[in-house]
Amino acid sequence: MVAQPTIDATRDAGMTVEFNAMGGPCELRLAGLPADSANRLARAAIEEVHRVEAKFSRYRADSIVSRINAAAGGKWIACDDETNALLDYSDAMHAASDGLFDVTSGILRRAWDFDRSSVPSAARLAELLPLVGWTRVQRRSGEVRLPERGMEIDFGGFGKEYAADRAAALLLDGGALYGLVSLGGDVRVLGPRPDGRPWSIGIQDPRDPGRIAAHIEVIEGALATSGDYERYFDLDGQRYCHILDPHSGMPVAAWRSVSVLAPLTVVAGGHATVAMLKQAIGLNYLDSAGVPYFSIDAGGHFHYKNIGKH
Amino acid sequence: MKRLRPARPGFACCLAILAAGCSFIEPVAPWEKGTLAKPEMGFDAARFDARYDEHIYTSREAAPAASGVGGGGCGCN
Amino acid sequence: MQLTRPPKRAEEKPKAALMLAAALALPGVLPARAETAPEYGMIGVRYLHYLDEQSGLRRITVNSPSLVFLAPIAGEWSLEGGLTTDNVSGASPRYHTLVAGASKMNDRRRAGDLRLTRYLPWGTLAVGAAYSVEHDYGSKALSVQASVSTEDKNTTLHFGLGGANDTINPVNTVVVNEKKRTTDLLLGVTRVVTRKDIVQFNLTQSAGHGYYTDPYKTFDTRPRERIHNAVSGKWNHHFSGSGGTSRLSYRFSSDSFKTRAHTFSEEYVQPLPEGWTLTPSLRYYSQSAANFYVDAVYDPVLGPPFLAGIRPGSRQYISMDQRLSAFGAVTYGIKIARQFGPDWSAEVKLDRYEQRGSWAMFGNGSKGLDNLTANFVQIGLYRRW
Repeated sequence: MVAQPTIDATRDAGMTVEFNAMGGPCELRLAGLPADSANRLARAAIEEVHRVEAKFSRYRADSIVSRINAAAGGKWIACDDETNALLDYSDAMHAASDGLFDVTSGILRRAWDFDRSSVPSAARLAELLPLVGWTRVQRRSGEVRLPERGMEIDFGGFGKEYAADRAAALLLDGGALYGLVSLGGDVRVLGPRPDGRPWSIGIQDPRDPGRIAAHIEVIEGALATSGDYERYFDLDGQRYCHILDPHSGMPVAAWRSVSVLAPLTVVAGGHATVAMLKQAIGLNYLDSAGVPYFSIDAGGHFHYKNIGKH
Repeated sequence: MKRLRPARPGFACCLAILAAGCSFIEPVAPWEKGTLAKPEMGFDAARFDARYDEHIYTSREAAPAASGVGGGGCGCN
Repeated sequence: MQLTRPPKRAEEKPKAALMLAAALALPGVLPARAETAPEYGMIGVRYLHYLDEQSGLRRITVNSPSLVFLAPIAGEWSLEGGLTTDNVSGASPRYHTLVAGASKMNDRRRAGDLRLTRYLPWGTLAVGAAYSVEHDYGSKALSVQASVSTEDKNTTLHFGLGGANDTINPVNTVVVNEKKRTTDLLLGVTRVVTRKDIVQFNLTQSAGHGYYTDPYKTFDTRPRERIHNAVSGKWNHHFSGSGGTSRLSYRFSSDSFKTRAHTFSEEYVQPLPEGWTLTPSLRYYSQSAANFYVDAVYDPVLGPPFLAGIRPGSRQYISMDQRLSAFGAVTYGIKIARQFGPDWSAEVKLDRYEQRGSWAMFGNGSKGLDNLTANFVQIGLYRRW
């Protein structure tokens, strides 16, 4: 669900730090702070992003997520408060999306190989679908258990956004008033430019990585984008992307991208992903959530509401 | 002209009423406080300026210029 | 580029709105926004120059350099303070405005203050000390302050207690080692009203006893006790259109000398491109006279120093101090500040103060007063680190 917005560089931009984390390019902008303070804060923020990444990465055998997954079908795993909070959030997201946002759906990737450009057989999906289901995840005071071998959880659906919010909170508490945190294109704005003007965040054209489809002005809050162009293959004129419906196991196809503006990056990213998953009624969903959005449908048409697009 | 009387006994009530009145206002969420965090929106932002104001007014007016406590006096009072 | 407005749709059940509530339960995604220790330190030098004038006569010139600083300590503390020297030269204030021939005076006042603040999750605690020394007047003060914020940080209560101990030793030795002791109390509340409005209300009481009389004035005897109450309201509002901020305040104060004062002030902070900030300000102040104030109007037959209608010795308390008269005063000024990179800033502030009996808000004001004007120039240079 990574869009790659470019952030336009203008004067008064202050300090910019680029780094890699969460599987993508990241950027910090801090303005209006003395250089020492800005450096100190930036270091702490980047450290926090790496901490979240290391702790919850499914690629690291020692992460809590890997330990939960390794114990699937076996013993209960005790979780710390932060992990329990993410599990609570997974539960809330599942409920808010009528079961479409499901942190156990990652195993469908075993059937979808985006490098080979082939659509898995119905039989292959039918094998995997029984292993998908948040409601089957067992929880008791501070512990979690996956009931069946082969089941997995994965916080990838909001881990990046969570890290962006954590880093932003740390910067704001450190006295940063002007700047932004961008993790792989999901942007949390701390505050406007020092002169009060908004940051202009580019939304990538989903069909042309070098082109910006629109600029969105953000003074504070977060802008996150979910799109069909992060991992995908095209076959017979049909796009198959990595956002998969947990009920059918098939990629969503109604929207090329959905960008949402919300107070927190987790909320913006959550709404954007759920709107993708809701497909035909994605915009009804966003309307009911009452959030400003900018979306591009499968035909390339723009739909937007309450957003400072230009 | 009706003379104004010091409102001493009502002071505590005053605060209670203000606090109660404020509870009807929609609370501002933490992520909406970017503007409020600007130095000019704070009340002690001009703490360096406050010393200067005391300089201007203390020797010329009867009402104490200091807005805080324990500022210390000077012979100009 | 093709633009399509989304068609109106039937509302889906607002389950979606639950997501925000769930996100807010995540740890550490929101700033605490508690008042935190400053992230950076600041040191500044300021230079204040002013000139008091009355009837076109140059009266007092003050040159006052000062040093101010603010330093964060270990992330949870801050230390701030200042040192000032006032160099006063010119004629001493005439004991009332009808008598000319003020004596020449030169004086120097040195003052310093220090405040240590501890930042806690629920609020702040601070202790402060201040001193001021002149050749004939010394003052020492101590204070403690606390603030407590609500969970949502939208409401903060402030409490303050302070005490000052002054010693008066006038050069004419009309009194020796006289004392004045003052206790100050502060009760306040700051409230976030909207995302662009914040208000503060303060109640202050100051109770003092000791020597309030002006030792250099012939007809001046004041009560040895003074209780002063003030209530103030302040409102800061941000305009998103201009990016400017209005800072409005009102204060009513009254004291046991029966002076009552209203103060209205407004300043408007306008950030401009290239690091400039322009802040025009306007203030109106009006007070009623102390109940023992007498206008400096002389007996038409006897002449000075006999006051019209007042028999010498007939009154317990008396003063002709212009500061205790009824008057109105207007200050208008402008501050021009410029930020040079993130670390340096400089400012120039110009103010003009005018005081007139006829500008009193209620009544006619005291008679026999010369208009007082004063011009202030202040230059400041600050460095952050």
